[in-house]
Amino acid sequence: MDEQELIAGCLRGSMEDFRMIVERYTPPAMALAMNILGNRDDAEDACQELFIQVYRHLKSYDKDRSFKNWVYTILYRRCLDHLKKRRRSAELVKKMGRETVLATPSNPGHSHPSRSLPSDLLEQLTAKERTALCLWANEGYTAQEISEVLRCSASTARVYLFQARKKIKTLLEQGHVSLQNV
Amino acid sequence: MSRCKMFELFYALVPLKPWRGLLIRRHIEECPRCLAGLASREAAGSLLVQEREANIGRPLWTEVESALVEDSGGEMMKDRALQSSVMRRWGWAVATAFLVVLITGFLLLKDFRPEGTASAAAAPARFELEYVRVGGQPANAVVYQPQGSDMIIVWAAKRP
Repeated sequence: MDEQELIAGCLRGSMEDFRMIVERYTPPAMALAMNILGNRDDAEDACQELFIQVYRHLKSYDKDRSFKNWVYTILYRRCLDHLKKRRRSAELVKKMGRETVLATPSNPGHSHPSRSLPSDLLEQLTAKERTALCLWANEGYTAQEISEVLRCSASTARVYLFQARKKIKTLLEQGHVSLQNV
Repeated sequence: MSRCKMFELFYALVPLKPWRGLLIRRHIEECPRCLAGLASREAAGSLLVQEREANIGRPLWTEVESALVEDSGGEMMKDRALQSSVMRRWGWAVATAFLVVLITGFLLLKDFRPEGTASAAAAPARFELEYVRVGGQPANAVVYQPQGSDMIIVWAAKRP
């Protein structure tokens, strides 16, 4: 079924059409969320929040824009919120003088023994760089398309992508252990 | 070669994103040497989580659906709460208005007496004395009501 037809169906209140949208976008959204957050559990939460927001704000979706970009924009925002939340929690735990028990990128969710991001990638690349890199490498996005998701200029998106690629190249050349283990 | 160095220098010297973006677009993206210093799409992709690897471990749709149902339930509850709050507010307004009307009416009607009613009636018509005794002896009695007043004066005097 065509994407626009599904959207129209959702706007008419069809949950079945929305279910199809959710199923269609779950794998790419999960991949992007995991690449930004580096944590499966947080990525699943972000995806759940994403689809709830998509359903709520579907009326405001501009049909001239790419639906996928719109979905990714919302997801990116949700992921940033998760990262902020994680940072705040870590600060709080630090203030309390206790050892952090939060699921950090190097300690991804244990519930699903699947692939996670190399920790160096998460440590050295910012969330924006990871997003730009993921959209470029996985989705084949151009700087212009990345800028639409990140809500920045194409030049800025180009800089994020350039920095991410450069850092990765350096990491690969250094033959970092955690990267080799992937 | 020297051109690449120059671009690298410009890139490092001016940390402004539009400027850097311009440099990347104008030179780096088109220079084979500079591109060789960047990770390729395949190399980057091999480090990232791919769609096929991003299997979700829980029934996302069920969770989304239940959240949306709860949300719509919450919306209904909100609507109901809003309605009841509006009704409560209006109820209070009606009750207050009724009370105000009641009090105003009472205050207005308190002193209002139509002509020919009891207060305007002659005192003897409302006040009847069969006999009056003063000191155990029959006495003369006079009933008097000042005009426009409710006060009735009864005057009793010993008979001479």
